[in-house]
Amino acid sequence: MRYVFNFPDIGEGLEEGRIIEWYVKKGQAVKMGDALVKMETDKVVTDIPSPKEGVIVTLFGNEGEIVNVGGPLTELEIEGEGEAHAPNSEEPTNESVDEDGFAGVVGTIEVAKGNSFLPSTGEGFEEEIKTEKPKGRTLATPVARAMAKDLGVDINKVKGTGPAQRVTKKDIQAYASKPATSVRTNVVTSDVPDVEITPITQIRKAIARNMAKSKNTAAHMTIFDEVEITTLIDIRKKYKAKFAEDGVKLTYMPFILKALVQSLKKHPMMNSELDLDNSQIIKKNFYNIGIAMDTEDGLVVPVIKSVDQKSIKAIAMELADLAERARDRKLSIDEMRGGTFTLTNYGSVGGWFGVPVINHPQVGILGVGRITKRPIVVDDEIVIGQMLPLSLSVDHRIVDGGETTRFIREFIGYINDPISLIME
Amino acid sequence: MKYDLAIIGAGPGGYVSAIRAGQVGLKTIIIDKQYVGGMCLNWGCIPTKALLESAKLYSRIKTAEEFGIMGIDPKTLRYDWVTAKTRAQTVVGRLTKGIEYLWKKNNVEFVKGEAKILSAHEIEVSDRLIQAENIMIATGSKPQALEGVDSKLVIELERLFDLDALPKKPLIIGKGPVALETLEYYRLLGIPATLLVKGDNLLPGLDPYIVNFMKKKLKKAKMPVHYSEEFTIEGSECKVGDKVIKFDKIINANWRTAILPEMNSKVELENGYVKVDKEFRTSIPNIFAVGDVNGESYMAHAASAQGLAVINRLKGIEEDYDKIIPINIYSVPEIAQIGLTEPELVEQGADFKISEFSLNANGKALAAGTAEGFVRILSEKKYGEVLGVQIVASDATDMISEAGALMQMEGTVYELANTVHAHPTISEALMEAGFDWLGKPIHKV
Repeated sequence: MRYVFNFPDIGEGLEEGRIIEWYVKKGQAVKMGDALVKMETDKVVTDIPSPKEGVIVTLFGNEGEIVNVGGPLTELEIEGEGEAHAPNSEEPTNESVDEDGFAGVVGTIEVAKGNSFLPSTGEGFEEEIKTEKPKGRTLATPVARAMAKDLGVDINKVKGTGPAQRVTKKDIQAYASKPATSVRTNVVTSDVPDVEITPITQIRKAIARNMAKSKNTAAHMTIFDEVEITTLIDIRKKYKAKFAEDGVKLTYMPFILKALVQSLKKHPMMNSELDLDNSQIIKKNFYNIGIAMDTEDGLVVPVIKSVDQKSIKAIAMELADLAERARDRKLSIDEMRGGTFTLTNYGSVGGWFGVPVINHPQVGILGVGRITKRPIVVDDEIVIGQMLPLSLSVDHRIVDGGETTRFIREFIGYINDPISLIME
Repeated sequence: MKYDLAIIGAGPGGYVSAIRAGQVGLKTIIIDKQYVGGMCLNWGCIPTKALLESAKLYSRIKTAEEFGIMGIDPKTLRYDWVTAKTRAQTVVGRLTKGIEYLWKKNNVEFVKGEAKILSAHEIEVSDRLIQAENIMIATGSKPQALEGVDSKLVIELERLFDLDALPKKPLIIGKGPVALETLEYYRLLGIPATLLVKGDNLLPGLDPYIVNFMKKKLKKAKMPVHYSEEFTIEGSECKVGDKVIKFDKIINANWRTAILPEMNSKVELENGYVKVDKEFRTSIPNIFAVGDVNGESYMAHAASAQGLAVINRLKGIEEDYDKIIPINIYSVPEIAQIGLTEPELVEQGADFKISEFSLNANGKALAAGTAEGFVRILSEKKYGEVLGVQIVASDATDMISEAGALMQMEGTVYELANTVHAHPTISEALMEAGFDWLGKPIHKV
């Protein structure tokens, strides 16, 4: 019995992934849970395990090629499998294979419906033509299909200009030449010697999409403030060495996170989400804070869950672990979802103030800059203050200026007097 | 009373556009000085095909014994021009009535008379002023007059039905499909005709492979064909170089020239044709020109296709006119060609492959005794997209539509090879040519 394994949606709303490396070959026997392929998605690089035991018959796509979610990855010959699992079976199979059955790499995997794909190879080539005609097949001319396959263009993403929106040769050519076109609009052409044109990574694609979506959706408002943190500096200094004995690096971040969560608790609108379709606000009674992390490939935002229930030390350890794995791109999809508010620390690279972009659909994002010594007035005396600059962007559709200011003042109170964090 | 569209010329460009315009709710008027259906219906496509059919039948009956039909005496077998002509005229009458009926049903107004374009929005027809938002010129073309030839000796195709008898030694002067079809007509009837090709190409626009095939065939049939721009007529003799061709009538099958309507507001011309852009707009944007008059094609079906594209545009349907126009010639066997020719592909620097299948190995063609011919497919190598198809076969002009449909939807040789063709049909040759392209023809070594 042949079984076609489709590329599962391993993240929320994932559309495609790039094949980094095949671990298996045609004719190789695999067990359930064996890693088949290393895929780069817009969020992670991860191994995709085999959902079944069998022998590899076909690998769809070469290394470096893009595979759509729901598109075929491998075809397996499975012994003693019933007809119900055949890829051309009329009955859709929508299996949820839980973690226990796997090596546990990416958690729950949705196996796409058995007949929801078109094997991308073989189109237009006699000896490989498949007889099955899947539903929802994009209308395209034979040449357009052959050309799309040849150029690695996903025909489903191409807007057809032919009769009944049929995708034509011209459409594929236009689509395939798009990157060059967009470069040209910036008055830079590929024949300029100083220009290097490289394809964008999945992660950059995701950033581009998410940032634009946020800016196009949320009504961004940013307020700036600063907080004097001499007390916090002292506390940190005191515990830094102690933590180091346990191999834990203590930064200011765990304190900031604690103060942030405490403030969110007092201002629940800041930890909510706008559901315009149903005319409602969803307030969240859990405090999962996303931490914007700068990696070589681009921004990733792992989430520290239930910050309110974790100690400073636990948070410090988790932060260090996430940072390391973010660098190696070993974060799982699960670790990057479910955030309710985001923190971005550009102070670590020397930044001061900024206008952070909200991690949609969250309400806000707090940016912290570098700590600097500056003259401040205390009791009519000019003294040296250790100032932490704050930039808070919020979605004005949900919260107004008054609430936002009250929120930042609350936060400043905790940071300025960290002891208050444990007093409540 | 203002019209949305006024069409000048009721040939295949104009009459088809008028029907479609009416269908889509445009207030339409169509003007023609003489013919409903234009040249095509009245003295072109249709009546000549009716006459050719008589000639083909006459010629075929001569081979009756070969097919087991006895009792036909070649001595009494006779082709009666007047009866054949009358039959052709009956066919024409039926079709022109059909057009008038369709106009009426689609609320198209018809005016008989000579149109004069006064301005971008005004046309005068026999003292009547017609105002229209848009004007379509679809006045067609006619063979250029033969210079230096006494017009009394010349039969213009338009006057074909005025003849009481067939010429005995006709000289056809011209080139292209009309010249060849006329020559074929006389050949089938056994009338010793001569063709004088003006220039060096019998069939301009056709693949040299087809042209050579036809030249050989004519040579075998002992139909004299001469090539020259220069000739002199003296009495009933035509001198071409040192050759003397005797004739009783000259048939004008000369290359064509546009028929232009009278215009106060003149549209820009190019080489004697109305200059149009990709949307078939003339230099006056609300005046369109379709069909022979714009010089893009001499095919009736091209005129209709262009006209329909204009009506779409008037209704706000913006689409590129990317039609692939087949060329049909009603010789025996018929010739049909669509898409690009071998020299055109070479000129483009295309990486292409030619596959061919001869009708000698086609069951139906052999059974019908029409095994003379071939199917030839020109496809680009990478994806196998079919870029040109050439057919020489008894029903090539019908068979070419399969290739047209395939090419219009950017089909490849794989679709052609994968389409099950009914057996026995001559169309199987298309599938075989597809197999040939893939290196696996069934009935070919």
